[in-house]
Amino acid sequence: MDFSLLLHSYAAVFTNFQVIFMTLLGAFGGVLLGAIPGMTATMGVALLIPFSFGMDLIPSIGLLLGIYCGGMYGGSISAILIHAPGTPSAAATLLDGYPMTQKGEAGRALSIAMFSSFCGGVIGALVMTFLSPLIADMAMNFGPGEMFMLAVFGLSVIIAISGKSIIKGMISAFFGMLMCTVGLDPTNGIPRFITYSDTSLLEGFQFIPTLIGLFAISEVIAGVERIIKGSEKQEHSNEKITNVLPDFATIKKIWPNILSGGLIGTFIGAIPGAGGDIAVFVSYGASKSASKHPELYGTGIPQGVAATESANNGCSGGAMIPLLSLGVPGDAVTAILLGAFIMKGIQPGPMMYISELPTVYNVFAALMLANLCMLIVGCAGVRFFAKIVSVEKKMLYPIILVVSLLGAFSINKNVFDVGVCVAFGVMGWLMNKYEFPLSPILLTLILGPMCEKNFVRFMNIQKGNFFAITTSPIAMGFFLVAVAVILFSIYNQKKINKREAAAKAAARAQK
Amino acid sequence: MKDKKKSLAFANLIGAVLFLALGVWAWFKADGFQKVKGSYVQPSSFPRIMIWGLLIFSVMLIIQSLWKLRTMDEDDPLAVPAESINFIKDKSVAAALLVIALCAVFVFLFKPAGYVLSSFLLCMVIMYMIGKRNWVQMVLVSLLVPLVMWAVFYKLLTVNIPMGPLDFLCTLMDKI
Repeated sequence: MDFSLLLHSYAAVFTNFQVIFMTLLGAFGGVLLGAIPGMTATMGVALLIPFSFGMDLIPSIGLLLGIYCGGMYGGSISAILIHAPGTPSAAATLLDGYPMTQKGEAGRALSIAMFSSFCGGVIGALVMTFLSPLIADMAMNFGPGEMFMLAVFGLSVIIAISGKSIIKGMISAFFGMLMCTVGLDPTNGIPRFITYSDTSLLEGFQFIPTLIGLFAISEVIAGVERIIKGSEKQEHSNEKITNVLPDFATIKKIWPNILSGGLIGTFIGAIPGAGGDIAVFVSYGASKSASKHPELYGTGIPQGVAATESANNGCSGGAMIPLLSLGVPGDAVTAILLGAFIMKGIQPGPMMYISELPTVYNVFAALMLANLCMLIVGCAGVRFFAKIVSVEKKMLYPIILVVSLLGAFSINKNVFDVGVCVAFGVMGWLMNKYEFPLSPILLTLILGPMCEKNFVRFMNIQKGNFFAITTSPIAMGFFLVAVAVILFSIYNQKKINKREAAAKAAARAQK
Repeated sequence: MKDKKKSLAFANLIGAVLFLALGVWAWFKADGFQKVKGSYVQPSSFPRIMIWGLLIFSVMLIIQSLWKLRTMDEDDPLAVPAESINFIKDKSVAAALLVIALCAVFVFLFKPAGYVLSSFLLCMVIMYMIGKRNWVQMVLVSLLVPLVMWAVFYKLLTVNIPMGPLDFLCTLMDKI
């Protein structure tokens, strides 16, 4: 590694006003777009790429990376404030972020999310700078068997996010997996649970409308119910936000989660086809399993927000690794970035490290700058965003409803998706009422298609011999970790139930 | 236990039976999936694995609920009263169902009336229903939020949203 060239590239990027301005602009746009339910970082980058045509490579990459990083953080704003993740990658942030808002700690949750996003992004950028060729080699060893086991590993988190009843969590998970199979079979194109004439469902239930329905619409329905019942609390933003960044005591508490989340995000982001939506759940599960107080996860604790947000942004660095070193995009955003590189006459891939090394280092520096810009935009916005919860609930709920329904429509410009969103909203409301957890459905909607597609591919390649998977050390590694996570989660859940029973018994004895 | 039928255990039983029924229905539906010659995994294979999982855990929940209904005392976590969905006795449930009905109306009106008008209607009715009576705020919020959202999507994100009778706004916006 040429350190002098690396330093020179950082200096060139960090002192170039045009690059800084464009990256800041991108981060601002990304945060705003990400905060709108239904608008993903991918859409933001795709929409704004034409604006980068006339620019030099580095300012345009700065703009796009700014949108990417900003969008990743922006998704958490609506997840924390209104229980509607702006982007799929922020889906796990609501598990602890929204309860923090309900406790009157919206500002704190936002600052933790922002700080963790920044740290995760920096970890991703550092790993990308120093280890990209190494990780890229490993990522390219992922075939269908490894991808299937990665999905199984992701699914092993279900028990950790099932809440009080593992049985109900598993029912939700299998129900979610079954819903993923609606539509055309991904390998042979055979319709399942539909006919060829049901054109709206040929591709199955779209993820974003489903997500918005399950979390945002169901929350609005439940909120209206609470208002009529008189049990709805109006949050006032009495929380004093003296510092836009978390205090030292909080940072001390969350740094292990940030570190592990950032590394998990970078690693998963580097695997082509796997992205932030998977990494956040894996990181959340890992953080919960490693905690001494797993029972507090889901009740609104900083560690839960930190684990998911750092993994989320760690992916941005991870996804760049296969793009730069192999010319293979790690996710949809990097696929668009690949197009941007090619338009500028640069072909990412192994040769780029030889013929275009200064450009590679400039991209490393631009990613670091994008994370810094996201932090600046986030810091400037925390106080404003936190005020959203002070809006009177009688006005806030209808606003969330119409914004969410528009988000559901905007993905495919299809009214059917709005109907799907409402239907899933009703389902989410009912399931919440009877304590069937929704998070396993969310996880399976993300991992189900990946799991099935790779399972079928693997079986067809291996001519029906499933046990051939035992010959892959990576797949077996994932399998063993998945088994360990499941066993540990069951043990943890038993511990939580015991503690709760003991606390209840103590309360009874006091009475 | 005074009324076991109002407990969470009983609600779990009902839920489990519904999921079991769904599993059985899906199993029969999967039977009708077209077979693919030469493929090691049929289109019905993966759904069937999921159906098995759904059926097994539904049966487990039924057994657990029946057991709890027989043996639980008042301190049992499953003895707590489950939430009601009786919209005749419970006004809040009726309000929730009305919101759902309004959302359904919104879906039907989305294309003919357009996003802004149907959102205006949805916002106004819900706000009135949940006790908001400041008409100026109600009209402003119901009108401005959908309008701003439409403008953002139309102008910045170039997403065409149905506007119904207000379609002239698109022409107006194009001129800006």
